[in-house]
Amino acid sequence: MKKFRNLFVKEVKELLSKQLIVSLLLMMAMFYFIGLMTRREAERAAAAQKIAVFDLDRSGLSGQMLAGLQGMNFKIEPMTAATTEAAVEAAKAGETNLLVVIPAGFGESVGRMEPKVVETYSFLRNFSIVGARTSAIVRAVLEAINKVLSDNFLKAKIPETAPEDIKSPIKSRDFIVIKSRMAEGSASAVTGFVTSQTVFIPVILMMIILYSSQMVISAIAMEKQNKTLETLLTVPIPRTSIVAAKMLASGFVGLVSAFIYMVGFRSYMGGFTGDIANAPGIGQVVQKLGLTLNANALIILGASLFFAILCALAMATILGVLAEDFRSAQSLIMPMLILIMIPYFVSMFADVKTMSLPVKLFILAIPFSHPFLAMQNIYLENYNAVALGVLYMAAFFGVMVFLAGRIFSTDRVLTMKLRWGKKKVVL
Amino acid sequence: MGMMLKAEGLRKSYGAVEAVKGIDFTVDEGEIFALIGPNGAGKTTTLRIVATLLTATAGTVTLLGHDLRKNPEKFRENISYLPEEAGAYRNLKGRDYLKFMANFYAATPADAAGFVRRAEDIAGLGDRLTSKVGTYSKGMVRKLLLGRALMTRPALAILDEPTSGLDVINSLEVREIIKRFAKEGISVLLSSHNMLEIEFLSDRVALIDKGRVLDSGTPAGLKEKYRAPNLENVFRSALR
Ligand SMILES: Nc1ncnc2c1ncn2[C@@H]1O[C@H](COP(=O)(O)OP(=O)(O)O)[C@@H](O)[C@H]1O
Ligand SMILES: [Mg+2]
Repeated sequence: MKKFRNLFVKEVKELLSKQLIVSLLLMMAMFYFIGLMTRREAERAAAAQKIAVFDLDRSGLSGQMLAGLQGMNFKIEPMTAATTEAAVEAAKAGETNLLVVIPAGFGESVGRMEPKVVETYSFLRNFSIVGARTSAIVRAVLEAINKVLSDNFLKAKIPETAPEDIKSPIKSRDFIVIKSRMAEGSASAVTGFVTSQTVFIPVILMMIILYSSQMVISAIAMEKQNKTLETLLTVPIPRTSIVAAKMLASGFVGLVSAFIYMVGFRSYMGGFTGDIANAPGIGQVVQKLGLTLNANALIILGASLFFAILCALAMATILGVLAEDFRSAQSLIMPMLILIMIPYFVSMFADVKTMSLPVKLFILAIPFSHPFLAMQNIYLENYNAVALGVLYMAAFFGVMVFLAGRIFSTDRVLTMKLRWGKKKVVL
Repeated sequence: MGMMLKAEGLRKSYGAVEAVKGIDFTVDEGEIFALIGPNGAGKTTTLRIVATLLTATAGTVTLLGHDLRKNPEKFRENISYLPEEAGAYRNLKGRDYLKFMANFYAATPADAAGFVRRAEDIAGLGDRLTSKVGTYSKGMVRKLLLGRALMTRPALAILDEPTSGLDVINSLEVREIIKRFAKEGISVLLSSHNMLEIEFLSDRVALIDKGRVLDSGTPAGLKEKYRAPNLENVFRSALR
């Protein structure tokens, strides 16, 4: 045990190199700043939008309309200019991104129920997402104008009925059903909420698996290159301890890195999801539908994740043995990358249940598919499927550890190599 | 002098290639025994078999009466191995590397400290032991590793090309360290393709070519037998 701890501590020290720590910190900082920026933009978007208005009409109706806009969280900046051209020039020099020109005779013709053309000028100052928002604002402004005008009109003509009831004679109550549970709410809001809560899970999963695998492969390749592995193999400790210490240390460092990554990613995602999560009442709807992860679900999910990581570490150990030096180790992560990308994309864009049997079996044979599927299965109460996945991964891990142990206790740990040129594994 | 190591009829194939084709030798207590021969002769393969890294296709090896096949653990307790062109963990400090290795052999912390002190003495790196191995020169790494290999006073030290790639001064220092420890009773099995330096270092040598022992004996005895001025000429005569 003392010797094992000695090995474990060395492995962790080797893995926690300055480069790794610096790159993790940089990533954290990057996420933090991007998150900060998006949050600031979101705040700015939520704040009152400034629009410039050049009112050539100046009738009671245009005044009423502008007051209506103001009531809808738009800040009106009246323009004074001789001509429309001059107003456009003046607005261009200013800070607002939108100018609305209300033509002369507007009030009079709208009063006669004759549509009149209102001109809008959008000043595109950059082509970022924020710039694209201007078009949404234009639409919102026009909608607001139309609503104010039609409401006024309806109120004048049919004062006994609310304008809202005339415009939408039917109303709806929306229910969502998941298995035995039902709640009132909008399906798209619930889906959006669940996605925003779980979108980071596959990414984190991928990160942990790739990080730890890369670490094991590099660690073994480095040991081979420096011949420290040969030295270690002649030391009086069981070979299984050497393998186990490597897997454990890489798993540990991989988890720590993933945790740091997750913290950064959450602060980044906070910038986007704030408004969805804060939609009124969504919390209760989600709770009623059982779409929150309770302690049991978290434990099952954790077990699934844990076994996936173990499988990855064991596979990476075997891949690492195939590397001759540090350089060839870089390409050995490829098989792992492919095995993790397949379930990642499948879980994002397809439903395994509806696939043909051979494809389904292929997907299920990849151990990393199971934690991706676990999430969905937990929401849908398919606990048996999750448990079977965990069992499969445990068996897969057992086989891999057995293989790695066999390789490490024979010549193969030193003589096995992959010859890319000849595409042949020499055993 | 008692016999420390005995290798009989060693053979090793890598797939279709037979690298070692029946090698016999013995190493006595406190003796420096060298396998010499050109690159590809099978020296490293032979040393790796003795160091428990490779399994021989045929033949037996015994160390202090223990059979390698039956009891590799006993071998590992009594040997230390310095691989050819070896390095150490680049992110560890020199002293931490020594401590790490010492912990595998020491029964108590005091033992470990004693091992580390001896290794520091052998390596002679002084203050540099507190800097990372990644910053060391080739000569410094070799001396650190030699210190590591000898600190536990193994019954048998297996050194693969201990001086290859080093400059004249470093080679000389390494040879002196090996000689000093052999005098203190450690048996040494080493390999080299530099036949001239081996003449001054080893008590007995085996000339190896293409996986076979051409001849063996003391350097003086071999020179007399082949009437040659040095081991290089002995080797050339033995090849014919
Ligand atoms: N892992 C291996 N796979 C295949 N052939 C090998 C391997 N290691 C060594 N050989 C071959 O075995 C022979 C002996 O090699 P080696 O023992 O390293 O010689 P030396 O140490 O005397 O230079 C060489 O022909 C070498 O190419
Ligand atoms: Mg060699």
